[in-house]
Formats: sequence, C-alpha cells, structure tokens
Amino acid sequence: MFLKGINDSQKQAVMTTEGPMLIIAGPGTGKTLTIIHRLAYLINQGVKPENIFAITFTNRAAKEIKERAGTLLGRNSVGVFIGTFHLLGLRILKDMLTGNFVIYNRDKQVNLLKPLMQGSITKAQQAADRISRIKNFLGDMDDEIKEVYEKYQSELMKNSALDFDDLILKPIEILSSDVAGKYMDSFNYIMVDEYQDINPAQYKLLRLLAHNKSTLCVIGDSDQAIYAFRGADVKNFLNFEKDFEDSKRITLTENYRSTGVILNASNAVIKNNLKRIDKELKPQGEKGQPINIISVPNEKTEGEIIVKEIEKRIGGTSHYQLMQPGISKNPKGCSYSFSDFAIIFRTNAQAKAIEDAFSTSGIPYQIIGKSGNLQRKEIEDTISYLKAVINSNGSTNYYSPSVLDEASLLTPADFFDSRADAVTLMTLHMAKGLEFRVVFIAGVEDGLIPYTMKKDSTDIEEERRLFYVGMTRAKDELFLIHARKRFIYGQRFIQPPSPFIKEIPEEFTEYRFIPDKTKRFKKDNQAGLF
Amino acid sequence: MRFVADLHIHSKYSRATSKDMSPENIWRWAQLKGITVIGTGDFTHPSWFKELNEKLEPAGNDLFRLKKEFRSDDIPDSCKADVFFLLSAEISCIYNKKGKTRKIHSIIFVPSFADAAKLNIALSKIGNLKADGRPILGLDAKELLKIVSDISGNSMLVPAHAWTPHFSVFGAESGFDSLEECFEELTPYIHAIETGLSSDPPMNWRLSTLDRITLISNSDAHSPSKIGREANIFDTGLSYKSIIEAIKTKKGFIGTIEFFPEEGKYHYDGHRFCGVSFSPEETMRHNYLCPVCNRKLTVGVMHRVEKLSDRENGFKPQESPLYYSIIPLPEIIAETIKIGVNSKAVENEYQKLLQKLGNEFKILIDVPLEDIRKAGSPLLQEAISRMRTGDIHISPGFDGEYGKIKIFEPIERKEIKGQAMLF
Repeated sequence: MFLKGINDSQKQAVMTTEGPMLIIAGPGTGKTLTIIHRLAYLINQGVKPENIFAITFTNRAAKEIKERAGTLLGRNSVGVFIGTFHLLGLRILKDMLTGNFVIYNRDKQVNLLKPLMQGSITKAQQAADRISRIKNFLGDMDDEIKEVYEKYQSELMKNSALDFDDLILKPIEILSSDVAGKYMDSFNYIMVDEYQDINPAQYKLLRLLAHNKSTLCVIGDSDQAIYAFRGADVKNFLNFEKDFEDSKRITLTENYRSTGVILNASNAVIKNNLKRIDKELKPQGEKGQPINIISVPNEKTEGEIIVKEIEKRIGGTSHYQLMQPGISKNPKGCSYSFSDFAIIFRTNAQAKAIEDAFSTSGIPYQIIGKSGNLQRKEIEDTISYLKAVINSNGSTNYYSPSVLDEASLLTPADFFDSRADAVTLMTLHMAKGLEFRVVFIAGVEDGLIPYTMKKDSTDIEEERRLFYVGMTRAKDELFLIHARKRFIYGQRFIQPPSPFIKEIPEEFTEYRFIPDKTKRFKKDNQAGLF
Repeated sequence: MRFVADLHIHSKYSRATSKDMSPENIWRWAQLKGITVIGTGDFTHPSWFKELNEKLEPAGNDLFRLKKEFRSDDIPDSCKADVFFLLSAEISCIYNKKGKTRKIHSIIFVPSFADAAKLNIALSKIGNLKADGRPILGLDAKELLKIVSDISGNSMLVPAHAWTPHFSVFGAESGFDSLEECFEELTPYIHAIETGLSSDPPMNWRLSTLDRITLISNSDAHSPSKIGREANIFDTGLSYKSIIEAIKTKKGFIGTIEFFPEEGKYHYDGHRFCGVSFSPEETMRHNYLCPVCNRKLTVGVMHRVEKLSDRENGFKPQESPLYYSIIPLPEIIAETIKIGVNSKAVENEYQKLLQKLGNEFKILIDVPLEDIRKAGSPLLQEAISRMRTGDIHISPGFDGEYGKIKIFEPIERKEIKGQAMLF
C-alpha cells in the first residue's frame, strides 16, 4: 500500500533503503509525498520508528510531513523524529546533558553582550550577528571578536544558558567526544530535506550522526539553493556523491504543479547556471497559457495592474465594478479564492507600492515575513514554550505533535497563516515550498533581479535560482512585471528589464506594453520592446 | 408601538455612495420618509465608527439618537419625529467552497459600540476594513456567522439581498442552492433573509424551506433619497432587543414595504450591454446563452426562485405578514408631470406634498386618496391609487438595469387631466 499512488522514480526512491542516497527533487515533483512513503516503507520493513529521523528545513514542512505520515500510518508513525535541525539538537542535549539549562533569545543575547561592548546596544547587536555567523559558518575569528566571543560564552555558561545556534554547536561538541559512542547507534535512518540549504554547522552535525552504519538519504535541488546569505552552501549538495562514497542517485523529474509553458520556461532559465546538477523536469499537466510579460510605466501602475488581473479572475468584487464594461465574468467557470494569488518580489522595499494598490482596492492581503515584531513574537513564544519543556522535570516527549507545532525555530516560511484567505505578498526568499495558481513576479528589472542595487557583490547564479524559485511557484499562470521607472530607496531608478527575461524562449511568452499616459491595455508582440 | 425600520444602508465611506450619507442627513431623511429606526450601516469602517461615536448618544434601549447639536431645523413640522439608530454593517465574503467561488453579502446588527468594536478588532485581523465601508473578507460566510455569534448573544447576521446574482446566498453566479449548503450546522442561527429589491414575499413563499425564515426588507441605500425604498414594519417595543426578538420569532413583525420586484435591477435574466432581457423560460429556451454575444446570460432573481422553489406561483402561507408594494414618491411625481425624476420640479412638488400631508410612507400607504387630490392633483391621486392596487406596467429589470415603471399610457394622462378640468 505504500507503493501505490507514486510514480516509478518515486517508487525507486522509496524502496532504496540502504546506502547513502541523493534524491534530486525539482519543484513540484512530489518530494514530500516521496519522503512520507519512504518513511512508511521503512516502518513496514520492520525498522523501529525511533531509529528514523526526518530532518526538515522549516517547521511548516515538519508539520506537513507529520500530519500526512499520521494519515498514512496512523499510530505507527509515533516515535519517528520529524523536525528541524534545531529541534534535533534540542533532543540530543536533553538526552545527553544532565542538569537544566535555559535558552537565551536575541534580546537576552544582546543584553549579555552590552556590557562587553562599552554599553552600546548597536554594537551589542552587531556582535550578536557576528557571533551567530561564526557559529553557523564555523568560521575563523579575528582577535577582536574572539575576545568578545569567549567572554560571551563564559557568561552564557555562568547562567546555564545556550543561544539558538548552540542548539547545533553543543551537540557537535558532545557527539565529537567519546561519551557519545553508543548513543549514536540509534541514528540508523536519516533523511534530510532541502539538503541544498544546509549550513556548515548543520553539515558537521550531520556527518557525526551519519556514521558508517547509518543510511543517509538527502533530498533537495541545487537549483533551489537560495540561503547563501544565511550561511548555506550549495557545494555540500553538489559534493554529496564525493562526500559519501558509493552513494546512489535518483532524480524525480515528473512535475505535477506547473503548466508545460511555465515549466519549460523555468527550465530554460535555470540551464544558464553552471553550479548545478543537470535535470530536465517533465510537465505532467497541460501546456497552459503563455507567460505574461508586462511593461508598466512605474511601480504604481504595477500594483494597479496586479489588482485588476486578480479582480478579473475573481469576477469582480463589487456591484459597482460589474457596472464597468471591462470586467469579464467568470473567465474559467470562476473557482478562485484570494489565496490562489501571490505577488512575489526581490526585496521588501518593493512591498509598499503593491500594498498601496491593495489597500485602495480593499482586496484582503497578507505580507509574509515583513513584520519584524511578528517574527520576534513567534520566536519568543517558541522560546518560552521550549523553556517550559526543558525545565520540566517530568518525562517529556519532544516528538509529540504539539511540541512540533510550537517549535518553529527561526524559519521564515513558518509565518504563513494558512487560515487567512488573502492574497499573499512576499519576497522570493519567502516563497520557497509554496505554490499558487496565479503568480505575479513584480519588479523584474535589472538591479532588482538580479539584485545589485544595494549590494557590493552579486552571485548571479544565486539570483537566477531565486528567480527560478519564483517562477516555479506558479501552477496555472505566471506574470512577470517590469516597471520602466521605479521610486525605491528614496530615489528614482530607470532600469531595463531583467536580463533573465531574455533567457525565456519567446514561444512561451506574450508581451503587453502599458503606455505612460493612458492606462489602456495594448497588446504588442514585438520582442524588440525589451 | 408600531414603527417602520430600515436596517441596511451605507455611509459615505462605502464605494459608489453619495458624500451626503452623513449621520445628520440620514437622520433628516429618515423623518422625511417616515422611518423610526434606521441602521447606521458601515460600523466596520474606522472613520464612520468614529463619527458615529461622536455624533450619536445612547437612547437607553440599545439604540442611539443623534446628539442635539447635530440636528438641523429644516424638517417640515408634518414630518418631525424621533429617529433611532441601530448599529449595522455589511460584509462581503469572497471565498472558495466546493470548487466554486462564493461571494456572499451579509448584514450584521449589534447592540452596542463595545460589541461593534470587538467585531472590528476580530475582522481587522482577517481583512482590510479601511478601504470600503462594506469590507471584503476572504472568509467563509459560515465562519463570519461564528465570529458574529461569538461577539454577543444579541448580535445577528442576516444574508443580504439574498437572491441577487453576484453577491448573495442564493445568487445564480456565486451563491448556494440552500441556506444549509452555506451555513451547514449553524443554519438554525439564520433567522431572517433580506429579500432584496428584485424579489417580494410571494416569490419567497414558494420555498417551503424558508417558512421558518423572517423575510425582511431594507433599502441598501447609497444616497439619502433612497433611504426607505424598502423597509420593515414592527409592532413591538422600541428597543434593539425587541426588534431582534421580533425578527427571530415573527411576533411583532408586521410586514414589509416593498419595491415592485419587477422594478429591481435583477428581476429578469439578460445582458445589459447587449440589450437582452429574458424571462426564465426564454433563457432556458436559449440554453442560458446570449443571442447577441453568445456568452452566458446573467441569471436573475425570478429565475433562481423558479429553480429553487417547491411550490407553485401564487402559493400563500396561512399566516403571512403584510406587505405593501410601493413606488418611490418622486418617481410617481415624475410620471405624473412627465419630467425627469432628478429635476427641480419633482423636488419642489415632493417637498410641497410632504409639508401638506406628512412623511412619504404616510402618503404612499395611509393618506386618503381624496386628501392626495387636494394637496396634489387628480393625476397624482390616480397614480397612487393604481400603485396601491398594483395596477401598473413595469418592464422588468435585468443584469443591473432597473425595471421601467409606467403608470399611465399617454392617452390616459390626457383623459384624467381632461376629466379634472370638468370639476
């Protein structure tokens, strides 16, 4: 029963249980489905749930796997570890450390650092950032920060405290010592999701856990590695087969998400990257409509065009609108809701203009990951919850679903509120793992995509991956919008369209040019405009 | 006591509304029309909420009155009366249920500013309350009912203009076939529906599933003069609780003042831009396609009633509330003097009649015909007489176009005038 409803390459991935394995899973290829079926298959083969570890990049992904595994396996899935690296680190600490400890949040970190930085909050915050980078990158430090770092660590120790990054570092320390020995025997079957986003510290922890006996299975896609700024290194993914000898490779290529046009256009773009493992995704759906490339006068009209296109698909949002001739009723039998639409952009500085258009229209929208306060609050809640768990003396089962629900640890996509039926606005970084029927990528201009405006150096391949992630979020329709003038960062920019647009074969696109003065639509098939 | 209530209007903060929709003007026009209890509309809008809070004061019965300093003195003595405001709002829910886009408008009543504020806080987390006095939420109407019920035991949700094609619970384009489909196990909490301009009680009586439902009528006015074009008649205590209780139990709910449904914008089927107006039978004969543009026709209210009803046309329940079918007085005046309804002449005649005879409802429903002749003209007397007996011609409205009323043939107008000359 665990082999039903999956395709041949997925089946192969599910049934290959021994030896290191690299599963290359492009967007929309049924990665989560494969993980769940593999988990079920292992249990069905007699593997003890306690010996299976599924490590995810976000808590949202963990929750989804947990729920779907529960549906497929019922109580048999209880005992499997499903969670982020941080949660795994926490579990190891709980198992291996005697005595209680507390976890310091960012505010407490900064408070701790303040006296060490001449009482300056700004300097303390900068130091906190640097220390975090050092801990994630396992990087070297100069003498100046080294002194601060060491004092900071000893202060933490005095308070029996750990910071978030220590949830990875401390387990590395423990498992590297002899004490660990037998403990690691239980780590028999390890699956790591989104392996392309693993950072050096996580990689080191994984190497310690995946000792000889274990069968490590990593899943990911080099084309979706977009977290270099947080220390992730796509090299770990590209080097997996060198790192772990005799490893097997399975590539999932059937894409069930996007139309043929969207997928083939995305393939054509990402092919221009050199640092990747080549694969050709095969569309399983229909060909679909051409990708709409729209040139608009400025960021204001960009927002207006997006709102108009959404209203068209919803079939008008008020009687008043229905009185206007332009609104077509039910283009496709009308089955849309607001959550079918997403507007994705490169940087949060673009959000304001789009937000303005939505505020005026009254269409409900949510911005994911914009509010620092929200993120902070979520983290605080998590911390207080974790504290309660850690300091409780009774036996606590970390792996019970409620703990996992709460234990979101600093992963941006976790802030998506699936209950709110609203149009989603977010950056490309936030979009990974999500899908929408209609996707608008706004600000597809040189300078924003690839992003060079406020940056000294730009990794063009990372930028192309970001664009690729954006494109492959779309199921039915994709809009790429370019403003000829844009007011951003307090000044006016005149930028040509993104060079990535040229990488999309013309057969997949339809151009629309919105002239400066009149707001009338005009179709134009001249590629020469760009 | 017996009084008239119009519980669904919009403020100047709603889309496509008159800037004159202020508390002062609403208070004034309620008196000209003969309305004792008027909905505030739009309490979800922050600016309107603030303005209501400033200009209204509690009347002690969970209703509110306009503070003295905001009252004007330009109301004819014949119309002067107390006006009470009831906190009301309308929400547009747009969501997908069972694979189809649903767009459902609901009216909401609450007894206090505190409850209104509570609801506003809850809803502001779901959508944007500032853009429109009638906010759009990506929320299942059933969830909205849950939220409203949780705010207060005395709050109430009523599906608005329940039959219109685009934004209603039974609408052809994006509604449902029954209240149960929409509200599921919470359906018992739906005590009333608003019949809307394009349907009247006899049309609704044809659905046995609506027997337990109170059929209320409101103006949904977007400008002051449209206030009261439909309304409810109560005979109960003058308080929020009594009104809600009457809606729930039908005790004290006397009936409604109605548009002739044919005059409503969505009575028939058709295409406005193609000039096609069809009866339900004609639409079915054309396979729901427009003979001009070959696209799907907008299916109107009459058609939906035909579709969902389980009783023959003409069915009358044993204990049915009263209903009066009216034509707004300015339209009648315009018809008698053959001039545009928005003209100064109509306005002058309207004001003159109100001064002599009292508020508009009184004139349309109660004033003896003889008095109307004296204050107005024989033609007006005849027009109102015909309206009261339903002896008029209306070409039905369709696809957003109001129906066109004709009380007199041109020859009749002359004859009646001629007869009058003899006296």
